[in-house]
Amino acid sequence: MKKFRTLIGLGLLCLIFPGIVFSGFFDDLFAPAKKPQSSPAQEKSTEESPDLIQGLGEAFGIKKNKVDLFKKGVGVVQALEPIGLEEEITLGEAVAVEAFSRFGGEYPNQDWTRYINLVGRTVAEVSDRPTLNYHFAILNSQDQNAFAAPGGYIFITVGLLKTLKNEAELAGVLAHEVAHVTKQHMLETIRRGALMGSVSELTLTAMKKDPAMFSSVIDEMTELLFTKGLDKDKEFEADVVGVTYAYQAGYHPEGLRDYLQTLAKEAGHVESKFFTTHPSTTLRITKIDTLLKDFSDIKNLPFLTERFHQYVKAG
Amino acid sequence: MPDRIARVILGVVLLTMAAWMFPSSNWAATLYAKQDDVKVTAEKSPASTVVATLALGDAVTVLSEEGRLAKVKVPNGKTGWVFKFRLAEEKPAARSSSGLSGLAGKRTIAARESRTGGSIRGLKESTEQYAKDKQIKQEHRDAVDRMEAFSIAPDEFLQFKKAGNLVEFSGGAQ
Repeated sequence: MKKFRTLIGLGLLCLIFPGIVFSGFFDDLFAPAKKPQSSPAQEKSTEESPDLIQGLGEAFGIKKNKVDLFKKGVGVVQALEPIGLEEEITLGEAVAVEAFSRFGGEYPNQDWTRYINLVGRTVAEVSDRPTLNYHFAILNSQDQNAFAAPGGYIFITVGLLKTLKNEAELAGVLAHEVAHVTKQHMLETIRRGALMGSVSELTLTAMKKDPAMFSSVIDEMTELLFTKGLDKDKEFEADVVGVTYAYQAGYHPEGLRDYLQTLAKEAGHVESKFFTTHPSTTLRITKIDTLLKDFSDIKNLPFLTERFHQYVKAG
Repeated sequence: MPDRIARVILGVVLLTMAAWMFPSSNWAATLYAKQDDVKVTAEKSPASTVVATLALGDAVTVLSEEGRLAKVKVPNGKTGWVFKFRLAEEKPAARSSSGLSGLAGKRTIAARESRTGGSIRGLKESTEQYAKDKQIKQEHRDAVDRMEAFSIAPDEFLQFKKAGNLVEFSGGAQ
């Protein structure tokens, strides 16, 4: 009878919180108890889980430890939820501050900044997230690098910009970064971190209330962006998606491949974080070449070499 | 009775084969505008008369495709041409951001979080607090501020794309 009552209680709770049923909560419930890996902030968050669950649990005679386990499940489900746009932009803005701080600050050339914004927004306009506000900036570093923070903050170093030969190459590089934003690669990685217990809920309220947690998330993001790099699979996906965006925008889609070939020639000669934060350049070229075979109508698409030289080389 | 079961199984197999032979993309003639202000023009040229302007999520029926363009029927029954990469197969979620409004120079602050007033526009409170705690120089905070405030006039953007044969002017679409 008691077991029957417990089951009815659980059933009712599942009706109230249907997401839990489909989120692997019961895997946890029926698995041997694991040692929690939560941060102090997360523990605090679990403590503050809705008392409604506790109340309902008591009403149906469910043991406290089972209710606690259930509440933990709710926390996991919350961490699984996509990070909202406002939170994404807030995280991106803080990462952007770090980018300027670590890479020599803003490159002081308004014409070049205007140009990369024109090219970047052209590819962003045909992307899968054309309604997001994208911001493009040049970093005053001779190192060759480009990266994207969540929320549409995209950076290219002046060292990389000067290495490019035409606008299609620039579009290819920026489209690769736009693809990281549209596919939310960084956020996905951070969400995985949330599940591992390194961060608690990523809501605006939590970020404001807990600056230490916010700071640890930004630290994790900057470490990924500037030192460790994203998963190789995410880089390959950004190549494929970015080449497609460049093509859809009307650029010759060989731009990114051509730049990577330039970069491959420099491997071993040039010290660059690019090589440590990205997969093998040769492998990327091979994969892009395979993709390019699928485009049958690219012969007449422009590289815009002259326009690139008018803007960049003249500056 | 076994005959009946056999007929049902055969029916299911035939339907599965039909579904496999005619993928959903061939049936799905309805596409959706990926953003606001998507122009549907009377002719293939983007400079021709605009017969309809689609808002984010507006549905169109695709009648045919030619290169980078799609001939579509809009909800009011009119037909025209549209740059096909401005359309999506799935209906986009309702707007949650201000779009590429930086182009028009009038930005809407997408986030609810308030901004501080110390610099040009002001960064979000969380960012300012973070930058202060990490002792990040004011010039780098201002750089982000400028990055966010950077705007391009719609006419300039259009001319840039036209001069480079890009987006709706690309691939002989003009």
